[in-house]
Amino acid sequence: MTGAASNVVSTDATLVSAIRSGDEQAMAQLYERYSAIVYSVALRVLGDTAAAEDILQEVFMQLWRTPGGFDSNRGSLPGWLAVIARNRAIDSLRKRRAETDITDVVVSIEPDLAGGAEWSRALEKIRSVLAGMPSLQRSALEMAFFQGLTHSEIAEKTGEPLGTIKTRIRTGILSLRKAFNP
Amino acid sequence: MSIHEQFAEDLSLYALGALEGEERQVVERHLDECSACRHELEKLRGDLARLAFSASGPRPPARSRERLMAAIAKEPRRAQLPRARWAWWNVLGWAAAVTAILLAVLFKEQNSELRQQVKEFETSSAQQDQQLSEAKQLLTALTSPEAVHFTLVAGKAPPQPQGKAIYVRSSATLVFLASNLPPVPPQKAYELWLIPTTGEPIPAGLFKPDARGAAAVIRPPLPTGVEAKTFAITIEPEAGSSRPTSVPVMVGSGG
Repeated sequence: MTGAASNVVSTDATLVSAIRSGDEQAMAQLYERYSAIVYSVALRVLGDTAAAEDILQEVFMQLWRTPGGFDSNRGSLPGWLAVIARNRAIDSLRKRRAETDITDVVVSIEPDLAGGAEWSRALEKIRSVLAGMPSLQRSALEMAFFQGLTHSEIAEKTGEPLGTIKTRIRTGILSLRKAFNP
Repeated sequence: MSIHEQFAEDLSLYALGALEGEERQVVERHLDECSACRHELEKLRGDLARLAFSASGPRPPARSRERLMAAIAKEPRRAQLPRARWAWWNVLGWAAAVTAILLAVLFKEQNSELRQQVKEFETSSAQQDQQLSEAKQLLTALTSPEAVHFTLVAGKAPPQPQGKAIYVRSSATLVFLASNLPPVPPQKAYELWLIPTTGEPIPAGLFKPDARGAAAVIRPPLPTGVEAKTFAITIEPEAGSSRPTSVPVMVGSGG
């Protein structure tokens, strides 16, 4: 999606508003901007291109059918799509029905990462924070996020105390936040 | 704003969808009551979105776009809504009408008792329709471009910008009316904020005044149960901001 969002005139909020009235071109523009994010997240979770394509389809169809699920006043669209894609992919991985009502999900992220150059810098920073994280902390965080393991499952897998895993996960998440809000 | 530390770790796990059973219910009950922790949950999801972004790189094959656009083309055509804020209204009206028709068809050949039930339902539905119609008229009057707004002031003072926010906390219902507002600069809009007693301002709608300086925000999406200390208006980019980026041009207090 790098650079895509910086070359367009319409804001995400404008395009989502157009989707409400059935504007297919608006949907195509949002797909151009954010399909790579949704697909990448699903692929990382599922490790299977066909399954990731299914999640991509499902997430964008959800946006088309219920654009009101995303409130542009209360969050960023790429952040919302990434979180919804991850949750749907984990549901698929664990072969369970969708657990979260998408209208319940508000994703607050500052600054908005939709811009091209800003996006590249942010991505570099995110990867740098992850690379600098203690390996056990990063591993616990990624197992929880990309594999959908519960803290109990991670504790069982690693042989470490439950409290340690909980702390590692929270500290890891806050490290990401701190990098953007020092 | 500070979150409740005893929930800090569980909130992270909740954001990950890793809490189950009683632990999950405890957190959800707390979230229902605590705006600070709800806000923290939104921030945690933002942090996790960054983690999700770390996976970005692969692009989907071209066929995915074709598949999506083909699926969208097959969906029922969506009616153009005159205004988004009337969407709930249309749903209620249609739901009542469809329900009445279905019941009428289903019960047509049934015994007199069932017919009586249908009759009662139709009466009830008609009453609801009447109430909905009256409420709609009221809202239309408040927001109609034809409505003439009079601002009463003492003596010969010129009319000042005014805003009136009517807020019901339990149902998160907000009606906001403004008058005599100066126009906003290009690519800007007024943004209304609910300032809670604890926690950060919550966006409560974007608006631009009409040629006479009048504006309205009716039932913007808001979290339920938030106690409002006051409301404020700032000038923000047209697409809105998630938190105020300028000094409020108007601030009020409850009354």
